[in-house]
Amino acid sequence: MPEKIVVDARNMACPGPITKLTKAYRKAKPGDIIEVLATDPGFKPDVQAWVQRTGNELLELKEEGGVIKAVIKVTAKK
Amino acid sequence: MAEKKQILVLGGGAGGLITGNLLAAHGYQVTIVEKSDYHLFQPGMLWIAFQGHSPERYIKPVAELVKPGVELVKGVVSEINLADRLVRLSDGREYSYEYLVVALGAAYDYDAVSGNKELLERFGDFYSGAEHAQRLWQSFSSLREGTLVVAAADPSYKCPPAPHKAAFLAAETLRKKGLLGKVKVVLALPFVHEYASKNLAEIIAPKLKEAGIEVRTMFTVESIDVENKKLYSLEGEELSFDVAALIPVHRGPLVKVAPEDAVDDDGYFKVDKHTLRIEGYDDAYAVGDCNNTPTSKTGVTAHLGGEVVAERIMGYDAVFTGRTNCPLVTDGEALFVISDYEHPPVDVRFSKFKRLLEDMFIAMYWPSLRDPEKWSPLFRAYFEATSPEKLAQLGW
Ligand SMILES: Cc1cc2nc3c(=O)[nH]c(=O)nc-3n(C[C@H](O)[C@H](O)[C@H](O)COP(=O)(O)OP(=O)(O)OC[C@H]3O[C@@H](n4cnc5c(N)ncnc54)[C@H](O)[C@@H]3O)c2cc1C
Repeated sequence: MPEKIVVDARNMACPGPITKLTKAYRKAKPGDIIEVLATDPGFKPDVQAWVQRTGNELLELKEEGGVIKAVIKVTAKK
Repeated sequence: MAEKKQILVLGGGAGGLITGNLLAAHGYQVTIVEKSDYHLFQPGMLWIAFQGHSPERYIKPVAELVKPGVELVKGVVSEINLADRLVRLSDGREYSYEYLVVALGAAYDYDAVSGNKELLERFGDFYSGAEHAQRLWQSFSSLREGTLVVAAADPSYKCPPAPHKAAFLAAETLRKKGLLGKVKVVLALPFVHEYASKNLAEIIAPKLKEAGIEVRTMFTVESIDVENKKLYSLEGEELSFDVAALIPVHRGPLVKVAPEDAVDDDGYFKVDKHTLRIEGYDDAYAVGDCNNTPTSKTGVTAHLGGEVVAERIMGYDAVFTGRTNCPLVTDGEALFVISDYEHPPVDVRFSKFKRLLEDMFIAMYWPSLRDPEKWSPLFRAYFEATSPEKLAQLGW
């Protein structure tokens, strides 16, 4: 069963959010959804670069009230 | 019956020795439990592995590093029961305490990445002891052509600039031997940029280029094929090597802890990030790499945390700020990565002067462990003069 994994990296300066995403990704299974919450403004371009490099699917990327939310579907893992 | 100790310090590494020796200097009765006869200055592994230094320079008997009066117990801690105030060693000895200071450092999980154990056996590494570092020097220095890859199995590891230092020191050795170009140095990093934080990546990237070091970003090693000499990344790419130096996955100390929720999922002690008290206990602290504070795992943070814990036990309201001071050395220059809980790493420059300062810090390591009460005021002056607030205005 695919799972939803929430990674709360709010109030963590870079590279906190990507580090936490990488750790979550190591444990994730194909089809899982990883939702990352971050406040570091550098996270937005970083997560875009990460998704492009890893070939996973970015379902959502939005900023609301200073919080960046990225929703990623794990599609690149076999 | 467990023998009761006034101050029981577990681990005689940087954090444990600073805390224990400071308290002893103020008349407390201190017992330090350490499994090894020798203390290793861990950054020395870089110089052993990539510049062929002799390990003797970086190793001293723990007995020479404790103050007279400190009781040194040789033994392996196997169990810590915070609720019962009881510590058990693997040989069955038991101690209770008035105050407990856990300073057991981080441990490594060589099973987390398939092939890591074989890689370690074949080539050595620069994280797990002087012998492995020496083996890595043998592997690296016998390369006449091909590729040395320096990489990490996880984005959180001790001393964030350590892989960069490894690459710079390796490149310097190759340059001196006239082999740079024939032997390529590849630095594979688990980060989006050439350093964990982007502002410093912009400062460091040109130096890496100048030194002829090739960088691969977003490469977190997931598995290794030692036979065919290939690293595979979590991000889905591969890299060929002739010799690979991999930073292993880190975790908290390998001891049984009760209650279980005193440590997090990775085995690190959960502490209040300012007082370093283990959550829920007013008589137990965790210092250095073994705690879960959201700052880098470095000797400097272990040192500063040790001072805070010693002062708190003495009754002062000392606070740990999460301050880091990680040196990144290149061929002849250095910079320090300076940050704390409130400030991400500030912009800093490379300079020859900072290399001199770093060489001095290394020389001061042994005396500052044994006599922290004499050296702390000096370090304090340095840390105040280079606080992130000040540097943000002045630059450095
Ligand atoms: C290659 C490398 C380069 C580094 N460079 C730098 C640098 O330039 N600057 C910097 O500030 N930091 C640097 N560091 C990090 C620094 O060495 C550590 O952060 C520091 O040693 C942490 O101190 P500690 O007391 O928490 O742990 P440690 O120094 O690791 O001490 C832990 C002690 O506990 C003992 N122990 C463990 N388990 C048990 C047990 N069960 N029973 C009894 N004893 C036990 C160990 O033998 C050890 O002596 C570097 C580290 C590495 C690996």
